[in-house]
Amino acid sequence: MRSIWAVAANTVKQTLRMKLPATFIILLAILLPVMGFITTGDGTMKGRLQTFVSYGLSLTSLLLCLLTIIISTYTITNDLKQKHLYTILTKPIRRWQFILGKFFGIIILDAILLFIFSAIIYSITIYTPRFLDADPNTIAQLKNEFYTARASLTPPQVDVSKEVDEHYNRLHNTGQLPPGMSRNEILTQLTNQKKLAKRASGPGQQLLWEFENVKPIGTDQYLFIRFKYDVSVNPPDLQAYGRFDVGDIRQIKFGNIETPIYRFDRKDVIRTFHEIQVPADAIAKDGYLAIRFLNVPLNDTVIIFPIEDGLEVLYKAGTFTANFIKAILLIFLRLIFLIALGIFAASFLSFPVAIMLSLVIFFIGTVSGFTLESFESLGEEMGLVYDFTIKPFVLLLPQFDKVAPAKFMIPAKFLSWTLLAQVAATMVCLKALLLLIAGLIIFSCKEIAKVIV
Amino acid sequence: MNNTEYAIETFSLTKIFSDWWGRDKVYAVDELSLQIHYNEVFGLLGPNGSGKTTTLKLLLGLLHPTKGRYTVLGGDSTNPKINKRIGFMPEESYLYKYLNARETLDFYGRLFRLPSKTRKARIEALLEMVGLKAVANRPVGTFSKGMARRIGLAQALINDPDLLILDEPTTGLDPLGTRQIKDLIIQLAKRGKTILLCSHLLADVEDVCDRIAILYGGKVQTKGRVKDLLTQTNKKQITIDAISDNAMGQIEQIIQNEQVEYDIISPMDKLESFFIKTVTTAKQEGKSTSGVTSDSTTKISDFLTATPIEPGILDKLVTATVADGTTDQAATTQKVEPAKPEEPKQDDKLISELTKPEQTIEPTAVEETKPAEPDTKSDQQTKKDILEQLTSDNLEPQGDNSQGDSNDA
Repeated sequence: MRSIWAVAANTVKQTLRMKLPATFIILLAILLPVMGFITTGDGTMKGRLQTFVSYGLSLTSLLLCLLTIIISTYTITNDLKQKHLYTILTKPIRRWQFILGKFFGIIILDAILLFIFSAIIYSITIYTPRFLDADPNTIAQLKNEFYTARASLTPPQVDVSKEVDEHYNRLHNTGQLPPGMSRNEILTQLTNQKKLAKRASGPGQQLLWEFENVKPIGTDQYLFIRFKYDVSVNPPDLQAYGRFDVGDIRQIKFGNIETPIYRFDRKDVIRTFHEIQVPADAIAKDGYLAIRFLNVPLNDTVIIFPIEDGLEVLYKAGTFTANFIKAILLIFLRLIFLIALGIFAASFLSFPVAIMLSLVIFFIGTVSGFTLESFESLGEEMGLVYDFTIKPFVLLLPQFDKVAPAKFMIPAKFLSWTLLAQVAATMVCLKALLLLIAGLIIFSCKEIAKVIV
Repeated sequence: MNNTEYAIETFSLTKIFSDWWGRDKVYAVDELSLQIHYNEVFGLLGPNGSGKTTTLKLLLGLLHPTKGRYTVLGGDSTNPKINKRIGFMPEESYLYKYLNARETLDFYGRLFRLPSKTRKARIEALLEMVGLKAVANRPVGTFSKGMARRIGLAQALINDPDLLILDEPTTGLDPLGTRQIKDLIIQLAKRGKTILLCSHLLADVEDVCDRIAILYGGKVQTKGRVKDLLTQTNKKQITIDAISDNAMGQIEQIIQNEQVEYDIISPMDKLESFFIKTVTTAKQEGKSTSGVTSDSTTKISDFLTATPIEPGILDKLVTATVADGTTDQAATTQKVEPAKPEEPKQDDKLISELTKPEQTIEPTAVEETKPAEPDTKSDQQTKKDILEQLTSDNLEPQGDNSQGDSNDA
């Protein structure tokens, strides 16, 4: 353990004295405060803070990721190339101890840098409103919509498979199937159509969503309904009219009103996110909450709530600080994965190749959604061959974009420990560990000296 | 402590480098079988590319043998239990440029898990010994090659190794440094260390090695004791101070009577001795240098034990003697202490190199050098006084001892 620590300390020392990290550090140390001043977002205080947090975290994450990849590949390939290993590995240290020393050294370095930069971002985020003398209304709004951590509930998925099957059979029987499309493609299209239909309301029509287990923390809290309209025909002023009834509407049936039902008549710009603030006592004692939407027929258009993010219910489930720390931990997990990746690549490749490989995997990871989809469609063609060759590798790819910190910080979305643990389990305990073990094995079997005769 | 007969033994050790297709290309080491005894200075000689360094790398586990096997100190050299007793100085010093000299040694000391106190004491002693104390806080990236080599030597000694493996120990060093390394090797051998070195600088090997093996094409061409290999048994040489022509004539007469061929010349000064003499003179005149400052070129660190002992005792010794020599009278009773008097002796010996023209590099003629002793710098003088105080009981017998040893060599 002590020799691991010696290598780790040496790695930190070596890295800090290289000019590269210093450049990154100075760059960030200047950029972050400057960004705090010049970002304006959409002009509101909330928009300004959202933009700053989002850009600040993304920039920190990106630069630290690059730095981590560079250092983890450089430190090992350089030790090999400069033959530092001749004198190190002939000392009483096992090769795996050397690799682990490097691993922990970079982890320590990353932890220090991440701590410094997140502290800067956090302080700027917290003190900006005070510094700019924001009015009490804005501060109250920020408190509810930004300086908080809200759990989000999306409407439960509606099972439309039966309807889709029926529709397909009808088309099939009547010979109306579109030519040139496979059965799967037609089914997918039909499913989307049916799902969208469940979230569309014509003029004067109603939509109803029911949620269970809504449990905000604290007492005098608010709920937030976050929504976005899509329309079939653009209204002249691009505004749509809607009426929301929020509360326990089961009571109406039985005529015994205990908890209040709130009504909101709204006029909103289409294709933009909006939030409705609802007092939390609208929730029934058993955690039931219903939202009824009426398409007020002032415009003759169909209003659609997009499937992905058309409507969600947000309520306070944690504090901003806790959420911020968890977002930082997400970045940290990503860095740990990249260290393992860099070490793995450096265990058998030279510096330029190792850094290329790591960067490619890193960028694939940041667009993993797209990557996975393209491989999946490839997989359909190749069947079993795909399942046993490319698929395991594809599954080993990181999925950074799925859990991007900005995704949580901008809408003040609650980031649960469960999610964090899941990410830690897959990204670090499984993927990073596999890479690290592979790197250790390769490095242990490697001939350290070059062919010199 | 030593559970095998040999410090290093190889059995048909072979290393073949193959090309990309896996076809055998070069036999770097071919069926090499060596036995190196404990407490022996063994030299591997050969022209460039004869497999010397490859052999060392194989022995250190930096390369995997294609065939054959080896034991180092009775085991596998990659085992931490074994390699904590090995010191290795590669052909060039591969050091972290960003660390300074002290940090570099500290890092290597930590790899040996040396306790903090021992580590610090040893680092200071080693820096002193290799003459880099004045530049200890400079990044080693700014060091000249020779200075880097000195750090390389210091890191090889930090664990007080039983077996020292030196790859081209004198390349990149100035004649003073070369002389220092050679004297150090002799001193370490006297203290019971086993030393394996490889070199193509024949003079170095000739001066220090007990036995040598000459490699060519990865094969041992010849091996044996240096003396046996080099002594021309059918010739005799007499070296004498200038004598009268009359006496000379008588001697010539005797030789002529024997009816053998003979040749009378004045022996040449060795360039090495001449160089050291010149530099020492310049130093005494007070000329400054940005380089290595030590003039106690053969001073040896006290912690390098005379006989292999338990680490616990070693560490006690180090902290007792190096930290504060004057207060620890008790330390003189440790069994490793007899090694200490060699320190002043070594100073003498250097000076003998510097002052006596006819001196060969055989480390024998120590007594003749006394007159030059006052030339050593005053701080060394005081240090020596302390050492003499500590070791006055056994100073005399030790002197005889070292004389005897070097005659053997």
